Formats: sequence, structure tokens, C-alpha cells
Amino acid sequence: MADVAATAPSRAGARRAARARVLRRIARRPIGIAAAALLLVLTATVAIGPELVPHAPSRTNPLNVLQGPSPEHWLGTDELGRDVFSRILSGGRVSLAVGFFSMLVGLTLGIGIGGAAGYFGGRVEAVLMRLVDVFMAIPAFFLILVIVTSFGNHPVTIVVTVGLGFWAQMARVGHAEFKRFRTHEFVEASHALGGGHLRVMTRHILPQVLPQATVLATLGVGWAILTEAALSYLGLGIQPPLASWGAMLQNAQGYLWRQPILAVWPGLAIAITVLAFNLLGNALRDVLDPRS
Amino acid sequence: MTVYVVRRLLQGVLVLFLVSLLTFFMMNLAPGGPSSLIDFQSTAAEREARLARFGLDRPVHERYLVWLAGAIRGDLGTSINQGLPVSRLLAQRIGPTLTLGVASLVLAAVFGIVFGVIAALRRDRWPDHLVSTVTTLGMSVPNFWLGIVMIILFSVQLGWLPASGSYSIGRGFELGDRIRHLILPAGVLAFSLMPNVVRVTRAALLEVLASDYVRTARAKGLYERTVLIGHALRTALVPVVAMIGLIATVLFSGSVVIESVFGWAGIGRLAIEAANGRDYPVILGVTLLAGALVITVNIAVDLLYAAVDPRIRHG
Amino acid sequence: MENRRPAHRPYRAIRPVVALALAFGLLFGGPSAAFAQEADETVVLNLATNADPTLNPWTPGAVIESNLINTILFDQLTRYSPEDLTPVPALATDWSASEDGLAWTFELREGVQWSDGEPFTADDVAFTFNDVIKNEALGAQSASQFAPIDRVEITDDHTVVFHLNTPFSALPYYLASFAGIIPAHVLADAENPLEVASFNKDVPVTTGPFKVAEFVPGSFVRLEPNPLHWAGEPRLAGMIFRVIPDPNTQVAQARGGQLDVVTRLNPNDVAGIGSGGRLEVLQQSQNLFFFVAPNHDDPRFDDPRLKQALLTAIDRQALIDSLLDGFGEIATGPVAPMLGALYEPDVPTYPYDPEAAGAMLDELGWTVGPDGVRERDGERLEFAMPTGQFGDLVPATLLVQQFWEDIGVIADVEVMEWNAYIQDVVVNRNYEVTLAWWSMPPTADVAPYFSCDAAQSGNNIPNYCSEELDELMRAGRRAITLDDQIEAYSEMQRLLAVELPYLYLWYPDILTAKSVNLHGFPEITAATAFQHAVDWYVAR
Repeated sequence: MADVAATAPSRAGARRAARARVLRRIARRPIGIAAAALLLVLTATVAIGPELVPHAPSRTNPLNVLQGPSPEHWLGTDELGRDVFSRILSGGRVSLAVGFFSMLVGLTLGIGIGGAAGYFGGRVEAVLMRLVDVFMAIPAFFLILVIVTSFGNHPVTIVVTVGLGFWAQMARVGHAEFKRFRTHEFVEASHALGGGHLRVMTRHILPQVLPQATVLATLGVGWAILTEAALSYLGLGIQPPLASWGAMLQNAQGYLWRQPILAVWPGLAIAITVLAFNLLGNALRDVLDPRS
Repeated sequence: MTVYVVRRLLQGVLVLFLVSLLTFFMMNLAPGGPSSLIDFQSTAAEREARLARFGLDRPVHERYLVWLAGAIRGDLGTSINQGLPVSRLLAQRIGPTLTLGVASLVLAAVFGIVFGVIAALRRDRWPDHLVSTVTTLGMSVPNFWLGIVMIILFSVQLGWLPASGSYSIGRGFELGDRIRHLILPAGVLAFSLMPNVVRVTRAALLEVLASDYVRTARAKGLYERTVLIGHALRTALVPVVAMIGLIATVLFSGSVVIESVFGWAGIGRLAIEAANGRDYPVILGVTLLAGALVITVNIAVDLLYAAVDPRIRHG
Repeated sequence: MENRRPAHRPYRAIRPVVALALAFGLLFGGPSAAFAQEADETVVLNLATNADPTLNPWTPGAVIESNLINTILFDQLTRYSPEDLTPVPALATDWSASEDGLAWTFELREGVQWSDGEPFTADDVAFTFNDVIKNEALGAQSASQFAPIDRVEITDDHTVVFHLNTPFSALPYYLASFAGIIPAHVLADAENPLEVASFNKDVPVTTGPFKVAEFVPGSFVRLEPNPLHWAGEPRLAGMIFRVIPDPNTQVAQARGGQLDVVTRLNPNDVAGIGSGGRLEVLQQSQNLFFFVAPNHDDPRFDDPRLKQALLTAIDRQALIDSLLDGFGEIATGPVAPMLGALYEPDVPTYPYDPEAAGAMLDELGWTVGPDGVRERDGERLEFAMPTGQFGDLVPATLLVQQFWEDIGVIADVEVMEWNAYIQDVVVNRNYEVTLAWWSMPPTADVAPYFSCDAAQSGNNIPNYCSEELDELMRAGRRAITLDDQIEAYSEMQRLLAVELPYLYLWYPDILTAKSVNLHGFPEITAATAFQHAVDWYVAR
């Protein structure tokens, strides 16, 4: 996007042209549009669905466990007789929330710290980027494992930890981009007009980084959902009464022989949702950030 | 060049020190202790005696200094739950992890580059869309779930491949046997790594194909395939090589889960066992080993990068 | 009240009486010619373990993954009879108690050799007890079970006397419960005999019918026959314990023919083993009960009627049917029916009746408030119910929570990581009610889990203390004859069923899948089966 932003004079015209170009590119990406639509539907469903279903997701019934799909229980019941359909909806709430907020944590930390490093340079850069190196050196999952076993599996801990799992990658991007833009004319112009660092960073550079950040964020949500699911598989994820899709999958694993279909639903839900995020992310990348 | 490598190594050591500090203090925040010492059916007196025997009744900073003094001498301590030196545990477990890692990396690279090339050459036509859909699927399916499904399908239902372990116990080394055990875990892991390679290959190749010198080469009348292989692919490989460093970290993360699914006696499973069992010295050892490997791979990749791309010089 | 038997016990029928008789015959007669001709002595048996075992029965934490393999490797002074679980000779050939019950003399078997060729003597027994179990600084596994032992005195090379500080009639039972004898000549010089890596994690020196040939951590432990074994040479060419952490993989391998024995099979995986194939599922017992422990530091539990109401509100058969697929029995107390004459069935059992439970609570003044929750003097009937991530504890807790909610009682469930749970709930007693289990040797002597001196710091998690109960348990320990024991322990069980120090939930069946071709495998308990591994054989 550098070419769009760099020249100040004919900015309005260039912006209009760019928008038209973007729209044309979007129109050529039906998969991306479908993914976006699917995600909207999914989000709406898990947002209001759990209020509408006839069975409370945590209502147990030991006399009616591990049933197959029926008119009463559309996707059957789980090992405690809970309605799987209700649990998929409420689990989606948890999974999507964890994914979204983790992404937010990772993105904010990454762009903030990486951006500051790139923008200020010098000693600030050296110290901050060393911190990034520390996090890059520990494979994300090892880090998450240590943190979750240390601080327990409170939902907030999980969200922050999963976010920490990829902030360093975001920081690299933020670092590179802010470094690239800090010497641009419009930044220097803003400085000359008395713009403070924070103002320059948030008002002038951040918008330039935004397209790439949007792509990373979209892919990040998918990654975070998968990571939470893997943590749950290892018994370290979100705990009851909340249940993410990952936790449901882990529970279902204990009943693979008695009721294998139980493992299908949350697995499918994860796969479809993450697939939608990834397809959208890829489409956005093509549209907003054609360089990569 | 040597100066550069030495500097990177020293930086690496500093990073490892910080990692150890972070890990040590963090894991000691958790309530409870090593599972072998505070076992459920034990009494309070038994637990206290055991904690004291392992020096776990002393303050955290004191224990860290003791550990650090040992680590500097190359002694990573002894596993509390397993009673074996940490270095020995790591040595036993690193082989299987590297085997799995290298196998999946090779699979991911080979298939990733092939699919990436296909997608680039047939840009925006159905092969491109197909490749992109399949690889995106690889990024989206939880790999442990895929692993379980594969076990049910290929081991339980069809009986073609072993479900667990890295070789048949009781037999000596047989290459065929090892490969049969490797197919499922390496395949699943590669499936989740491949999308990165495909994407980077495709993007790099598209960029190169659009560049001036390929156009020049074409204009000179060189046959399409020669252009592709001779110039474009070589240049496109640069970012792919750079990617491998990143993949190495992803691989370690993936191995934690995949080793658990396939009963693979590697570092990843050791990490899970240690974390669940609060085996402090092992958690530290595993984290440091993984960190050291990632750092080494990254330095190696940077050097390799310089070798394939003459524009980069490390001074 | 009648003891409701589970209706659904699909695999009980397959237990062949013949095999019992056969194993019994082998025990005393040794491998007899009649069966020897059928055995295929080239077979290597494949078993599974969920983690690397620690090959020392007394090392802290050497529990689930270790105790069955250690049972094969380390012979004990006594072992269980495959017929009725009474202690029968192993390394000890005979034993007797003094008049006052404070001194037990054990005659040791002569001619027994360690796997390195050294002779087994009284030194080894004295070392195991005096220097390891009774050395408090070591914190040996299960050491507290042997609290009544003062010291072991060597009379001669093959005679020892156990001196006790209190009568302990169950001593021979406890000596058969994962109490392997370890070699003095190998471990006595070690700084910590429980942490010798070359022993625990490689090739230990043992007395059992099989010895370790190869230990590859993370992968397998391979055993080979011990030709020096006192009961004769085993009839298998060896055993391999494969390390397979995931139970589904264990079942998948068993189906695929790569495993011959799967121990501690999860009830929900029985469907995976199937019936009529190469494997059969044995329903074994263990003196093990699941419970809800009320914390008696909470004055609300001073009145046993509250506990009785809470237990009446739980449909335990539904718990067994849903969580265990029916593989269990409603518990009536801490002593399981497998103990035969020592089990007292004639006690109050509190069958499921939510209305009666509600009425009982009404009577106690806990009436339903405007929000459907019971309260008394403005205080809600609400309990903090932490639970740990281990086995069925979390789902069982959630089901109990639901049953209580149905009668207006609130349980605030908090799910904790297992180590944190042990620290917070078990060690610090930081809970109001919690669901867990106790696994005990097959005796009615349950003092470590109920006596006043085990409250607050010992295994008496509910901190229940009653002088009346303590006296009954002491009477049981003093009673030498079975009749006296039955009398004392029956009264104890009746008291425990009224007082409810724990709310008894169920006795699970211990499930073992084994190849139908494997014979000589005692079916009564898993520990017994492994104590008699020398008799296992595969029909040709």
C-alpha cells in the first residue's frame, strides 16, 4: 500500500482509485465474500442462538447419555446427557470469544511494542526487539504450556496466554512497517508541524499498517481458536461450566468407542470456522496487501 | 562473517538466559508441586519430607541460583518425577522429535513447493483455487483431530499403519518399519505446515515471473520451462528458505500435540509430561533445548539465506 | 434397606470358574504336567502402561504406571489367594502373631535368589522396612499405611519379627498390597535408595518371575523370564510393557492384535474391545470407593441428617450407568463387598428419593427460598465444591451438582488442575464438599482414612473425628480371629453408614482386557493376577 499513501498531493483522487481497485479485487474473490458471510452468520448464531434453544447447555441428565441425533436432540447428547446442539452453540461463543480476544491481545502487544521499537530505533529498539527474540525463541506452544500450568486455566489467563503466543510475530511486522514509514515525508512533515510521537504513530503510521494488520488479525483468530482447542485437548484449556469446542472435543475423545460421532461435531465446527477465517484472511491479503 | 556468527551466538545465549529466568519463576508460581512428591494418597508428613529432600522448601530465587550454577557447568539437574538426569532425558527424546520434524519438513517442503509452483503457473484458474482450498484446509483442521481420525481410519479400520510409537518393539532397526510408523504423524504434521510453504512459493514465483529479467529471458526466446527452472524457481526459493526458520518453531509447537496423539517418545511429549507433573528441572530443560534449537536454526537459515541470495552480506 | 444391584452387568457371565480353579491349583501344585503341554513357551506377551514406570515400589509417585509391573518384578512377603484374597505365602512361608498382637514372626523362604545371583535374606526385609519405609525423611510411597510398625528385627537369616506399636491384625494383608521387598545389597549404600536411576529406570535387581531385560524410556520395558525364580520358571518367553499414554491408542492397538493385556480399561472403551474377538473383558474388584467428602470443619455437617439428605438426593445408579456404563456398584460404606464375610450389607443405604431428601432438609429447617434455593436463618444452603482434573472426577461432580440443584442445594463447582487440587483441597483442606476416591488394601481396616489422628493432616480428608469410631477400629486391629474381626468391623460399618464421614458413591469394577488365549490369569483382582504372573501361559 506504500504506493497509495506516499504521495500527498493527489491523495483524494488516489484514494478513490484505490478504493475502486479494492472493490474490483473483492468482486473477483467470491470465496472471500462467502467466508465473510459465513462468519457473520456464525457469529450471529452463537450470539443469540444459546438463548433460543430449548435445552440449557449445562443441564445434565444421566438417564439420557450418549444418544444419537433425534428430533428432541438434533445432534444427540453427550456423556452427561447434555444437548450437544446447545453446547455447540454455547461452545462457539467461548471459542470465538477466546479467538477474538486473544487476537486482540496479540495484535495490540505486537503492533504496540514492535511499532515503538521500529519507530524510535536505537536503544529502545535494541531492548524491545531482544524481548521479541526471547518470545520468538520459545516455540509458542511451549510458552503457552508453561504459562497455563503456572497461572491456572482461568479464561482470562487462556486469552492472554494464547495472545502472547503470537504477539512476537506481530511485533516483527509492526517493527518493520513502523521503521519503514518513520522516515517518510509525511511523517517528517507532521513532526515539523509539531505532531507528538504518539500522534504521529497513531494518526499517520498506524493507518498505513492497518491493511496488513487486518490480514494478520483475521488469520490470528483462526490460529487462536486452534491453539485453544489444542490446549483443551491436552486438558489445559477452558474449564467447565464453560466449554469451548476444544474442550468438547477432548471430552468426546473419552467416548470414541461408545459414541464416535460425538467427536465429529466440535471438530467440524472448529474446522469450518477456522477455514472461514483463513479463507477470509487470504482473500483480504490479496485485496489489501498484494505485495505478499 | 565469523564475527557475525559469534555475535548471533552470544545474543542467543543471552536470550536463553532470559528464557530460563522467565520460565523458572513462572512455573514456581503455580500451587502444588511435582506430582510424584505430592501424590494424592500421601499424607502431609510424607509430602513435606519429600519436598525437603529435593530442596523445594527453599525460596525460589535461591533454587534458581543453584540451578543456574549447575546449568553453567552443563548440569541441567535431575528430573524429580523420573529420577533421571535431565540431559539424559533430553538426549533420549531429541532423536525421535528431530526424525519427525525433519520428515514432516521435507514432506511439507516438497509438496508445498510443487503445489506452490502449480498454483503460480495456473494463477486464478481451477488448479490454483483447488490448491489454495486444500492448503487452507490444512491450516484449519485441528491437527490432533485429524490425527485421531487418521488413526481410526488407517490403523483401526484398515489396519494398514501402526497407531502409535516410532518402531516395532523387539525388532532391530528396519527402515521399512520406521517409515511405516512415520507416515501418519509426519503426514498430519506436514499437512498443517504445507500451507505456509505453498503460499510463500506461489507469491515469490509470481513476483519473479512478473519481474523484468524473466520477461527479458522470455523475450530472448528461451523456452518457458527453462525460464521457470533456471531463473524463477531459484530466486523464488529465497523466501522459502527464510520461511523454514519460522516453520521450525511451528514444528516444535505442533510436535507437542502430535507426539501425544501418536505416542511418539519425543521432546513434545516430554514437555507435556513435565508440565502436567510439575517436573521443574525438565520443564526448564525442554524449554531451553527448544529455544536453543530454534535459535540455531534461525542462524543457520540466515547464513543459508546469504548463500542463496548474493545481495545479502553479513559483516 | 436392600442393597440395589446394578441391573446392567453385561460381561459378568464370561468369568470362567474353571480358570479360577486352575490358577488355584497352579498356586499350590506348581505348573502341573496336565497344563504344561498346552503352553506355548515362545510367546512374548504385550502389555501397556500409560507412562514410564519407576521400578522401585517405594519411590514416591510410583503409582498407576508402575505398580503392576513392580508387582511382577518384586516379590512380596505375602500375596493374595486367587480364590478369596486371603494372604498366602510368597517370600514368607509362614507367619504368626504373639498373644498381645504386638509382635509378628515371619519365616522367610530359603533358597531364593536375587536376579544378580545374591541370596535373599532377612537383611533385605529389615532394610526395606527399617531403612526405607520407616525412614520418614525419605517419604516413601504408602509409608503411612505401615504406621503401626515400629521396626523389623532379624532373628536369623530367614526369620524376622515385626514389632508393632499397636495391634494390627491386617498386617499380612497390607504386606500383600504393593509392598515389594527391595535388595539391601544393591541399595543400602545409596544416598537415597529411592532415587537410584540405574535401578529405577534401567535394570533393577529383583526376585520376581520375570526380570528386566531392557528399558527404553518413553517407549517400552522388556522383561525376560527369571530362571532362578523360587516358584519355577515362567511359561512365557517374556513380556513387553509398551508406554502408550493415550487410552484410545491402547484400545486401538489391542484391537489390532498388538496388545494382549490392557489393564485399567476405561468402562467407556469396553465397546472398543468388543466381544467374541481375540480379547475378553474381565470385571475385577478392588477395595476402592468413590465418595463426596463433606468438610467437617463446617459446623453444618455436625448433624448427620444433612449428609443423609444430601446422599439421598443423588441417584447413584444413574451415575454408575452413565459414567461407568454400568460397570460398578452402589457403595454402602468404605468396605467393598469383595471382602466377603468382612463386608456388612445390613446398613442404611439411602436409595435415591429426591422428595424424601427435600422433606429431610425441610425438617432440618432448610426450606426453599424465593429463588428456589434452600435457606435457614437467611443463610443459603450452598457449598464450595472444588474438583480436580483426574479421571471421572469432573463429570461426576457435575452430575452430583445437578442432583443437588434439583432439591434446591447449590454446589459451586470449581475445576482445578490436578496438582493444584491436591495442594489446595487435599493438603490445605480448603473446600466444603469434594468428590474423590480411596483405594485400599483388601481389608476392613480403614483407619488411615477415618481415624482422628489422620484428620487435618493425614488421609482423613473430611476431618471427621469420633472417639466411638476410633475405638471400634482399634478393636478391629486387636482382633486376631476372623470372627472377632467380623464383629468389630460390622459394628464399625453400621456406625459409618449412619454417621457418613464420607457420602459413599460407588465401587467401580476394575476392568482388564486380556487375550482369550492367555490362561492362568487370576481374575479376582488385578493385583492378584500380577502377583501370580509366574502361572500365566498362552495356549498353543
